[in-house]
Amino acid sequence: MRAAFAIWNDRIAPQFDAARQVCIVETRTGAIVHEHLEAFRSGLPVNKVRRLVELAVDTLVCGAISRPVQALLMAQGIRVVPFVAGTLPDVIQAWLQDGLACQRFAMPGTAKEKTTDMNRR
Amino acid sequence: MDQDQRRRHWDVILDSLNEGVFTVTPDWRITAFNRAAERITGISRQEAIGKACCDVFHASICEKACALRRTFQTGQPVFNATAQIINNQGQRVPIRISTAILRDDRGRVIGGVESFQDLSQVEQLQKALELRYTFEDIVGRSNAMMQLFRMLPQVADSGSTVLIEGPSGTGKELFARAIHNLSPRRRRRFVAVNCAALPDTLLESELFGHKAGAFTDARRDKTGRFEWADGGTIFLDEIGDISPAMQVRLLRVLQDHVVEPLGMLRSKSVDIRVVAATNKDLATLVRTGHFREDLYYRIRVIHMVLPSLKDRREDIPLLIDHLIGKFNRLQGKDIAGVSGDVAACLMTYDFPGNVRELENIIEQAFVLCRGGIIEMHHLPPELGAKGGRSPSPSGSLNLQAMEKYFIAESLRICKGNRKKAARELGIDAATLYRKIKSHAIEVPEADGRGRRR
Repeated sequence: MRAAFAIWNDRIAPQFDAARQVCIVETRTGAIVHEHLEAFRSGLPVNKVRRLVELAVDTLVCGAISRPVQALLMAQGIRVVPFVAGTLPDVIQAWLQDGLACQRFAMPGTAKEKTTDMNRR
Repeated sequence: MDQDQRRRHWDVILDSLNEGVFTVTPDWRITAFNRAAERITGISRQEAIGKACCDVFHASICEKACALRRTFQTGQPVFNATAQIINNQGQRVPIRISTAILRDDRGRVIGGVESFQDLSQVEQLQKALELRYTFEDIVGRSNAMMQLFRMLPQVADSGSTVLIEGPSGTGKELFARAIHNLSPRRRRRFVAVNCAALPDTLLESELFGHKAGAFTDARRDKTGRFEWADGGTIFLDEIGDISPAMQVRLLRVLQDHVVEPLGMLRSKSVDIRVVAATNKDLATLVRTGHFREDLYYRIRVIHMVLPSLKDRREDIPLLIDHLIGKFNRLQGKDIAGVSGDVAACLMTYDFPGNVRELENIIEQAFVLCRGGIIEMHHLPPELGAKGGRSPSPSGSLNLQAMEKYFIAESLRICKGNRKKAARELGIDAATLYRKIKSHAIEVPEADGRGRRR
């Protein structure tokens, strides 16, 4: 399984549409087997979507994301966990333990239930 | 005046402003957040206070060009910087920002203040004036739309010719613009031509241009649309309506990438991407001999078929929500939503005119509705005449409530038959099961199955 975490200054980047870097984390049986940083060459959100598809990412964990870009990612089969805040190590740890739904990692004003439901749509 | 009183006055002043205002400490924690800031970001004051401003504001400039950081670094205020924030609903909001430093009595920096103005209305007006619609204006989460979205990034990047087929009003030009705006050609022109709107001779001159004296009344040189679109994209709408002679000329452009303006002896090479659209079935026109087979295959390198609105009914609540937001911004109104009856009526209507018809219905309702919510008497009479539905919830419905109501209604009409209800709603059964569960909908027992959630 391969997840991308949109980052800035070792934190989850505030806005995926404007993010410039992701941390790619590959796991096997619940443990990290590989981790590397990937800088986006293009600032255009559609090119970021394309790059994540090329990188065979299954899940994107990010901060705020616009609906159209989220729809593009979902259409590519990428699960989006949006409106997440926190430091990268904490967020990765929580993700590994399936604990990102915890309010501690929710951006202010974004109840986790709402964002999950939007993801399902 | 004591400090508490001064503080209360200060809050009243901030809340009376139409611009969003927040203040931060030097380590970026929010200390004040006014009412307009709550409205624009969708985040309450209680939730914002004490949080890092980038986690509340999530602006496009937070990472690279934060206006407040610049102010802290230079000591100079920033005026009218532009950015985009994403509110808590995932909507992009264009804003204009100004910043300043806050100092104590001794002149020491104790924080910063940022004020921001919502430019959504200005942007919507510009869009309407310049027809500058983008991918963001394509609304849908149905399977049919998701399949199209899946293709879109690759299609945009490829540079190949695209044929978009679909009934009138399904958004063929929106898709063509989205392909252009997502493509490497996005900085060059997007030129739209309606091939059915002009007689053959005029269309030829429009597309290819002419030299002065090429024909009577051709007093000056005229640049054709193909040349005008050089480096960009040309959108040929209603391609199924062009004459056989024009088909031959188009074939030449597509094969050789050259155009010959009328009256000019030499050809000009052009670098264009062609996106063509039609509401006709071009394959049938080829079979009946009305459209050249070689041109058809030149155009149909990538083929996209847009669904009718009645084939993606689950998108109707999303579209209503989007259109109400759009007309609120365009007309400076504050319509909250549609009534349950209106939602039910729109959900069951067949929309022969597709999304364009839905847009016209909402636009008419906006003219008649002064405020509050859109009721049945604001709709065109032919829609109002429809009846026979059970009473719907009173008050305005938000998107979630609307979806829940429609699903419950469909299940009731289909007597609890989930597969039938899914077909009626235009969604697959698995999606319906998931939505029944997430909305905690009671499924009627009339079909003899167990009452389940």
